[in-house]
Amino acid sequence: MKKPRALTPWRALRLAVCGLVAAMMLAPLAIVLTLSFSAAPFLTFPPPGFSLQWYAKFFADPVWMATLRTSVMVMIPSSLCASALGTAAAIALSRVRFRGASLLIGLLMAPLVVPVIITAAAIFGAFRVWGLYGTVTGLILAHTVLTIPFVLSTTLASLRMVDRTLESAALTLGATPWRSFWRVIFPLILPGVLSGLLFALVISFDELTVSLFISTPTVRPITVQMWSDVRGSVDPTITAIATSLFLFTLVVMLAETLVSRRARGRRPPLAALGF
Amino acid sequence: MPRGRWFWLAAPALLLIGAVFLVPVGWLLLRSLSDPRWGLQNYAAVFAHPVYLRVFWNTIVIAGSVTALCLLIGYPVAYTMAHAGERGRRFLVFVILIPFWTSLLVRTYAWLVLLQQNGLVNRVLVDSGLVAAPLQLVYNRLGVLIGMVQVQLPFMVLPLYAVLSRIHPRYGQAAATLGAPPVAEFRRVYLPLSLPGVFTGCALVFITSLGYYITPALLGGRQDLMIAQLILIQIGDFGNWGLAAALAIILLFGAAVTLALFYRILAARQRPLR
Amino acid sequence: MANSTAFRPAAPRVARSWPSRRDVLGGIGGAALALSAGPLRGRAARAAGKFDGRRVVFASWGGAYQDAERQSYCVPFAEKTGAAVEQDGPVEVAKFRTMAESGAPIWDVVDVTDAMLYDAGGAGLLEKIDRAAVDVSRVRPEFVDEFGIGNIVWSYNIGYSTKVYGPDNHPRSWADVFDVKRFPGKRMLSSGPSPNMEIALLADGVAPDKLYPLDVDRAFKKLDTIKNDLIFWTSNSQSQQLLTDGEVVCGNILNGRAYDAAKKGAKVAIEWNQNIQSVDYLVVPKGAKNADVAMGLIDEMTKAENQAKLANMIAYSPTNPAAFSAIHQDIAPWLCTNPNNADKGFVINAKYWRKILKPLTERFELWKLS
Repeated sequence: MKKPRALTPWRALRLAVCGLVAAMMLAPLAIVLTLSFSAAPFLTFPPPGFSLQWYAKFFADPVWMATLRTSVMVMIPSSLCASALGTAAAIALSRVRFRGASLLIGLLMAPLVVPVIITAAAIFGAFRVWGLYGTVTGLILAHTVLTIPFVLSTTLASLRMVDRTLESAALTLGATPWRSFWRVIFPLILPGVLSGLLFALVISFDELTVSLFISTPTVRPITVQMWSDVRGSVDPTITAIATSLFLFTLVVMLAETLVSRRARGRRPPLAALGF
Repeated sequence: MPRGRWFWLAAPALLLIGAVFLVPVGWLLLRSLSDPRWGLQNYAAVFAHPVYLRVFWNTIVIAGSVTALCLLIGYPVAYTMAHAGERGRRFLVFVILIPFWTSLLVRTYAWLVLLQQNGLVNRVLVDSGLVAAPLQLVYNRLGVLIGMVQVQLPFMVLPLYAVLSRIHPRYGQAAATLGAPPVAEFRRVYLPLSLPGVFTGCALVFITSLGYYITPALLGGRQDLMIAQLILIQIGDFGNWGLAAALAIILLFGAAVTLALFYRILAARQRPLR
Repeated sequence: MANSTAFRPAAPRVARSWPSRRDVLGGIGGAALALSAGPLRGRAARAAGKFDGRRVVFASWGGAYQDAERQSYCVPFAEKTGAAVEQDGPVEVAKFRTMAESGAPIWDVVDVTDAMLYDAGGAGLLEKIDRAAVDVSRVRPEFVDEFGIGNIVWSYNIGYSTKVYGPDNHPRSWADVFDVKRFPGKRMLSSGPSPNMEIALLADGVAPDKLYPLDVDRAFKKLDTIKNDLIFWTSNSQSQQLLTDGEVVCGNILNGRAYDAAKKGAKVAIEWNQNIQSVDYLVVPKGAKNADVAMGLIDEMTKAENQAKLANMIAYSPTNPAAFSAIHQDIAPWLCTNPNNADKGFVINAKYWRKILKPLTERFELWKLS
């Protein structure tokens, strides 16, 4: 253990800001978690009593369940597609060196960078013409495009950490390029790919703006249902859903930590987003 | 295997982005020029009524304020993350990534519960005697900024952290042992080294902030209208695709110019350091 | 874009929040089901059905609202006539227009806003209501149009917090809402120009029958007087939340939303004086393949027992006054076509709004910003 550091003004400032940020980030979460167990039919704080009624309402309501099913039906294929396509693209783009490479990376990252309202309006317009509006396929395609940037960046970050001499060694030992890739490189970047996949899962599940445009009452992900519920009448059901979602992502995050620990002793912190 | 062949692995992703992103955006551009008839009338309409320019300006001011606030509080956090112990770092990573794990919508409502007149924050402030009457913390610009900064902070902290953690440990150690980097050294050495992270973070936060509408709609007041809300009104209330597309294309153009500007500055800054 | 409702003066911001048709209408959680139930078929066993073997496509706004319509209108119709009623939607302005203009619409009966009715009716895109097939006398005359029959009505009301005001000292007119001396505190209005122009003019002393054409300048001048005491809601839940949490003391709220809040125990009440009503119509697009069946379905929708069933399910006001005999005691007082309430208000002039909404939206947003 190091000896406690002196509290200099800079350190004090940093600690104060970190404390503030922690409070700012955690406070809404704490409110959501608390209200999900509220006995009151409104979002009143502090809740007058404890109740599980909003969870019961969520899990018993066929509409919530139907929209949950839609979300899952979109989330799984889209995040798998995004992982496959994003990983392949990351490998390709880390290997080719030409002037346009960074342009192509920029292009693949565009859905993350371009204000989402533009993407939503554009996709909505095109999907209506192509008959993809209000279909699960349309949602899967849109979510794939929206989540590719996350997979791309996590995988690219992992690739950057991989020692390319390993591959050269395998090649000189007579392995085919393809084989040396699969046997040597791929296992090393797997944690990055997996964290990309998990990001894709969560982002898809929580996506609202684009889904709002391209879904209909028959094909409607849960976030859109929450939004329309919130627009109509607010009761703590949405906090119960948000809490369930949070617990789900917490489990996913823990799984990710376990996987990445097993896969590699040390991995670059925050390869998660690849920055 | 020739290098070029690897390139084909990127083809499916590029094709998909092309079809589901580029083509629709191109279609939007076309629509802005052709709906209801060919010409620049939709762009003319944007400039014909002062409300659109006002709202564009509003959007830039809000996005700029969010970016500045994110930088102001994100830099110390990223610095702490980069030079803290493992446990502190883990905690901060968890805290910073929270926005990714909880629904944006529900969080916005949680802010209302916290910030309104009879909300938690005001009650604590009034009960403790810090203020005499409840403060107006929401349904105004302050509410929008609080809500947006919380969501956008990860996009500032993560790129900053990536850069700060790569700055030679000596600086970090020096900072740690000295308790603070001497101001002059910070300005001359540390800050310039961290600038790529600052630029990336600012660009990302600013550009993505331009497209917000849920947060200003729920937490803002009458003066916090952003351009995304106007685009929605045009499509949803009027079915006016031409004007909506023109607004979106102008926004996209603004975002592209901003990005180019940031990269230009970044490139100019990096050259002497090479 | 489920409920994006172009040309919809009556439901200002509410509508711009996409999937929120139900909002306006004050729905009760729930959606999606309406359409998942396949076409309704009349009891095949009964041979005497008037429309045996025929089908009709009914398009509405989805969600709990369409589900209530399905159960209250379509099921009885299918059982009585043997026709198969297919559900479709959501109604979307652009889609509806394209379909009607094509001359070969897929939809036979469409639930539209008042503005859509006047828009499409004026453009010759709707079939005239066949008065031989539809008994229009059941419906209050102000809800009968050449091209459509009013189906439900909702209203904007003066809502107030019963924590702050009792039955004797609450705001009773829009003038009271604008009187910040007698009624101090923040107040709320919806965030689009409609019906805020009417509200401001009423507050300034204009009589309801003298409102149109709207003196817009006068309305803005009146709005200026309370500009800094206003919070604008962008969704119905927000209006509920604002009033329930005491963020505002009074202001504009939809009758259905006030009912919903009060039912859950919120300290909220509404004043019926000067309520402003808006109507949803049922129309038949020009060239509909099953126009005769469609007229039959519309006729079924005008019947008192069916409208009462819908009101009991989802708390929208019927256009057939006879429906009130079958509406629950605790819902009836909240409905704007209730004979006790209807005459205290008026129906918004959607025909007029259709022409001015776009420019006025721009002006109103600018006014809010400055």
